Amino acid sequence: MFFFRIFLMAMRSLTIHPLRSILATLGVIIGVGAVVAAMAILEGMGARFRSGFESMGSNRIYVSPALERRNQRVVGSFDSLKYEDAIAINKECPGVQVAMPQVSYPNALVKFLSKSTNANVLGTTELYTTVNSHEIADGEFIRPSDLQAGRYVAVLGSKVKRELFGGRPAIDECIKITGLLGARTFTVIGVMEEKGTVAFQDVDQQIIIPVTTAMAKLFGTKSIHAVVAEAASADDTDIEAAKKQIKKLLRKRHKIRAGQQDDFQVQAQKEFVEQVATFQKIIGVVLWSIAGISLVVGGIGIMNIMLVAVTERTREIGVRMAMGAQRSDVLQQFLIEASIVSFLGGAVGVLMGWGLATTIERITRVMETLTTGSSIVMALAMATAVGIVSGIYPAWKASRLDPIEALRYE
Amino acid sequence: MGGDGFDQMAPLIELKNLTKHYVMGQTVVRALDGVNLAIQEGELLAITGASGSGKSTIMHLLGCLDRPTTGEYWLDGELVSRMPDRQLAITRNRKIGFVFQTFNLIQRTTAVDNVAVPLFYARKSAVRGPSLKALERVGLADRATHKPSELSGGERQRVAIARSIVNEPKILLADEPTGNLDTKTGRQIMDVFHELHESGVTVILVTHEMDVAMQTKRIIRMRDGLIVEDRPVDEAARREAVAGQAEDAPPPVTAAPPMARKVGPADVKV
Ligand SMILES: Nc1ncnc2c1ncn2[C@@H]1O[C@H](COP(=O)(O)OP(=O)(O)O)[C@@H](O)[C@H]1O
Ligand SMILES: [Mg+2]
Repeated sequence: MFFFRIFLMAMRSLTIHPLRSILATLGVIIGVGAVVAAMAILEGMGARFRSGFESMGSNRIYVSPALERRNQRVVGSFDSLKYEDAIAINKECPGVQVAMPQVSYPNALVKFLSKSTNANVLGTTELYTTVNSHEIADGEFIRPSDLQAGRYVAVLGSKVKRELFGGRPAIDECIKITGLLGARTFTVIGVMEEKGTVAFQDVDQQIIIPVTTAMAKLFGTKSIHAVVAEAASADDTDIEAAKKQIKKLLRKRHKIRAGQQDDFQVQAQKEFVEQVATFQKIIGVVLWSIAGISLVVGGIGIMNIMLVAVTERTREIGVRMAMGAQRSDVLQQFLIEASIVSFLGGAVGVLMGWGLATTIERITRVMETLTTGSSIVMALAMATAVGIVSGIYPAWKASRLDPIEALRYE
Repeated sequence: MGGDGFDQMAPLIELKNLTKHYVMGQTVVRALDGVNLAIQEGELLAITGASGSGKSTIMHLLGCLDRPTTGEYWLDGELVSRMPDRQLAITRNRKIGFVFQTFNLIQRTTAVDNVAVPLFYARKSAVRGPSLKALERVGLADRATHKPSELSGGERQRVAIARSIVNEPKILLADEPTGNLDTKTGRQIMDVFHELHESGVTVILVTHEMDVAMQTKRIIRMRDGLIVEDRPVDEAARREAVAGQAEDAPPPVTAAPPMARKVGPADVKV
């Protein structure tokens, strides 16, 4: 009850100079607003990332050439992974359910008569539909015989189909795909169902061709870009077992001697997702630390306004002390006042940050943002803490006033 | 009470050789230089003296706003001269009501909220009822929700008196309570003090106006930090002083119009 009255009292004194209170809390408002908006963007990116992987089993394992960044250049063995490696993994690793080779080229030019578009060309095998749970909508998918023969057949993503053919049927039509070896003519054998974005790849803007054709006829390469494998289950033990088998097999196949480094890397999707989550957490901590620093600046504003308030109300403090206010009562009153200012500043900041994030989302159209309850609570808690800390000195000053001198103050 | 002469009541207030010294660089100002004084419960008295004689200093000590340099101050059986700040604050809250020359109301709140301040620090849960009752006692029940800026000087001082009595203190300390008011309003305020005295409150007025002092029952005159005179007011003279104000009271043509009151620099701003 007593606390509640002090609260009301503090609220009343804040509304006397509304503009001044707002200006004093500007630092807190901006600090909180910025961190809430930044966190919303970060969380939005994280959520999008997670949902990108959610559609795929978390028993996935990616095998890719060992590349590393050195002196701002990517170095390593780009061509260490072969088509036969994928076949071998499929056959010889008991812990691997399925292994699918793939090569992919973004933004290849695709033409049908006078129409053209750009599409991601994915060279893969008949395993694609099961591994990615992406089904054919019309016609048929690549068959093992297409792979063996290296046929010029293509399955179109739904958008590519629409862009090149509109409403007309595409099956059995001939399209031209321009690869590194020049333009080649492919026969459309199927159209995929619409699926959207999977792992950041718009699979509707994609053309699937036999991996063998892609390597030999279109892009002139003897290696593949990756092997997408699946372990028996998403259990850590199963994943680890599969990874071990793949590593052992590839080291043997690539004739890597003991002590020598792998020329490939094997990574579970799960680990990758976890790494990104850790990375996201680190960025979050960095953001909050920056917010903390900017809130210190905000705290200076609060302290300043509270010092002014104490000076202005010196006589009032004297009167209250004469009426029996204890020093601790005066201290409390100003502390609560400071934390209310700061909390309200924080609340305004949260609204502004949320508004900013939403605006960014609207304007960019691709950036998703997510203002989480925990970042709101965190922001408000920080703002309130800043208010309390920066209110301590002014409140202490008020509580140490000599009642007689305070009463005499003009 | 205590009327049968045998058991002399222990005084409500007892000052024993009280001094208050201020060190100003090389010199020491003896604001109080050894004051002995006993005041019984229910008295109505005035402390007078020239400016700088120590009236305010003794008021502050009596009001537990300050501690003496040496000597003892006994209030209601307690030695308050050595109490820590916290105890002093509690004593002020429970036993003492202050009325100031400049009213010292909090401008941004209503009359009734101003009156409630001491109850608030007494941690009382019922606040509004007693505050309205106190306003009623000073005849301002109908102004409860007015802010000080909407009240006349006399009304403001009555709000201040209501505030000083809301916690039912034993002692009312008033420092020049009529100093910022015109004569007529000053008399109305004195009437309030008389009524409070009659209801048993101990009232101590600090004033340099003799006609105000003459309306009390005991006058203490100070000079240079000492009590130089302490005498009862002759009952006839007192009646005359009180009546004197009653006589002037009917609308005197020469008196200042009621609206031409003097508004103090007064009151707590903000
Ligand atoms: N805080 C102080 N510091 C120094 N001297 C003071 C202080 N307060 C009062 N005095 C001195 O003490 C003496 C008595 O002051 P005061 O009690 O205010 O007199 P009065 O109220 O009768 O005018 C004066 O000489 C005054 O200057
Ligand atoms: Mg004085």
